[in-house]
Amino acid sequence: MVRFPKATTAWLLLTPMMTIIIGVVGYPLIKTVYYSFTAAHLASPATTDRWVGFKNYLKALGNTKFLDSIENTAYFVSVSVSAEIVIGVLVALLLNQAFKGRTLLRALLILPLALPTVVNAMMWRLIYGPDFGALNALLSQLGLMAEYQSWLGDPDLALWMVAIADIWKNFPLVALITLAALQTISKDLIEAATLDGANAWQRFWAVVFPAIIAPVSVALVLRTIEAFKVFDIIYVMTRGGPADSTKTVSFHVYQEAFAYMRIGSGASYALIVVLISALLIATYLWLIKKQGNTA
Amino acid sequence: MTALSLKNIDKNFDDIQVIRNINLDIQPGEFVVFVGPSGCGKSTLLRMVAGLEEISSGEFWIGDRRADQLPASERDIAMVFQSYALYPHMTLAENIGFPLRLGKQPKEIIDKKVQDIASILRLEQLLDRKPGQISGGQRQRVAIGRALARDPKVILLDEPLSNLDAALRLEMRIELAKLHKQLEATMIYVTHDQVEAMTLADRIVILNNGEIVQIGSPLDLYTKPVNTFVAEFIGSPKMNLFPAMVADNLTNGTKINLIGSSDKLMINTAVNSNQGLQLGIRPEHMTPSNEGAIKGIVTSAEQLGSDTYIYFNSEAKDQAVARLDGISAVRTGENISFNASQDHYHLFTSEGNRIN
Repeated sequence: MVRFPKATTAWLLLTPMMTIIIGVVGYPLIKTVYYSFTAAHLASPATTDRWVGFKNYLKALGNTKFLDSIENTAYFVSVSVSAEIVIGVLVALLLNQAFKGRTLLRALLILPLALPTVVNAMMWRLIYGPDFGALNALLSQLGLMAEYQSWLGDPDLALWMVAIADIWKNFPLVALITLAALQTISKDLIEAATLDGANAWQRFWAVVFPAIIAPVSVALVLRTIEAFKVFDIIYVMTRGGPADSTKTVSFHVYQEAFAYMRIGSGASYALIVVLISALLIATYLWLIKKQGNTA
Repeated sequence: MTALSLKNIDKNFDDIQVIRNINLDIQPGEFVVFVGPSGCGKSTLLRMVAGLEEISSGEFWIGDRRADQLPASERDIAMVFQSYALYPHMTLAENIGFPLRLGKQPKEIIDKKVQDIASILRLEQLLDRKPGQISGGQRQRVAIGRALARDPKVILLDEPLSNLDAALRLEMRIELAKLHKQLEATMIYVTHDQVEAMTLADRIVILNNGEIVQIGSPLDLYTKPVNTFVAEFIGSPKMNLFPAMVADNLTNGTKINLIGSSDKLMINTAVNSNQGLQLGIRPEHMTPSNEGAIKGIVTSAEQLGSDTYIYFNSEAKDQAVARLDGISAVRTGENISFNASQDHYHLFTSEGNRIN
């Protein structure tokens, strides 16, 4: 039998996967970089080779609509991710207490996560419906609201409402990660802190918080990366409207490249988004590495 | 004034009673050891003293203060856990100083106290390290240090040495004994290891099935076990119990027969003639003798160098054991017989209770 050195074996085994990755990720990425320097237009194949240098990038950075979409995205990310973290951690702390029905509640927690994003978006669009929506019905029947409201039709409200739908779907991920971390905390530590004279708040800061901060920060970065590229929920619920108030960067890129068919400038937008995502991913990798060092 | 007082304490988990009618007074500065087999309730009892488990009924007093409703954080009792329970993200200095920081002590006082404790426990060089960076024995010392920091009224130790290897366990046992002398602190120590109990305790509390079986000094328990449970639990190898019956009631005592043997032994206690008996003799009190009344065939011999344990099947009991000083030339399969002085006889009823 032929014996290869370990490194050769590793490369041999990795080759099929590498080939696929190069095919479906590498090639399109290079092609996108190329397009971003051209005036390519989907409707006129002759334009694919029309070299324009950095013109697309300069235009992108001067385009107020694109900059607005970055602002919208940042707004969406900070609202939804911070709420997901706070709600997720609180829910995890509750589900870590011993009470009857805890297992059932823990199982229910998975449900929103298991829902496809598109289904979640459709569901919330129905709930927010201006005429027959459950939210209007609930609030008016409770006497909290005199008139029906068009939740997704109001530019000041729409992004918040989309964020709520996103929070509902994604806080369980944070809760699950936190719950797993909470379960690794030895009961002895909590009891030791109690005997050392710590009250509930002091026990949280001295024992619980240090044990969950690392996994929670990983969840934070993961959710930030995900939320930054939000697309499907926007596509289903608002299509970026009203008045572009929910238009995020991914949606902007989609419109530019596929609705307006301007592949060249769409590619330059996309690469700017990739750059920002890369920074977030680098933060994530740095956090993981840092945890590996302290563990 | 007693340091701690437990009066008629019971503990139920749902319908199961795990602690029954515990009555115990502990004096200031005393080193009390709770010992018993796994599941006897000793750790539960300790946790009730700490306030980590509620007391189902009865009264618990710390000094002259009724304390069974007092939260654990207000009892001024410190505890060393079997797992050490050190805060993993804090340095050793921060771990030891934690109870003082919670008590809002000024930084200089905390630093001084931490230094003092570190020097007692030989941890000075390690104070900047974290628990993950030190050995098991060192972690054990930090856990003790944290318990000492507040000068608590009582220090509880829950099987503190069971995670250490044999050599380190011996070393820490000696250190603990020294520390107790030096600090004169009241300590309650839980263990299932009778050697730890015998070597450390001023008083041992033996528990079985949630009840106190006997309380006494280590030598009391060794020389006057109240029943066969204590007799077998204290001492290693454990006491031989030979079933016996009364052969003759005499004026100056009783002649008894070991079951299965025709030889008679004289005891100076009067016993009811229908009474079933068990005669207990510790392995170290068995002396080889050609005319010995306890006869058997050697099944194995363990040579420890300083001692030899001889296991033999006697007429009255299988797997009896004798402990002889030094190296013995006894071989498996050999016939052997032993004698023991009457002073070393322990007589129990067939139900296991001590007679006399």
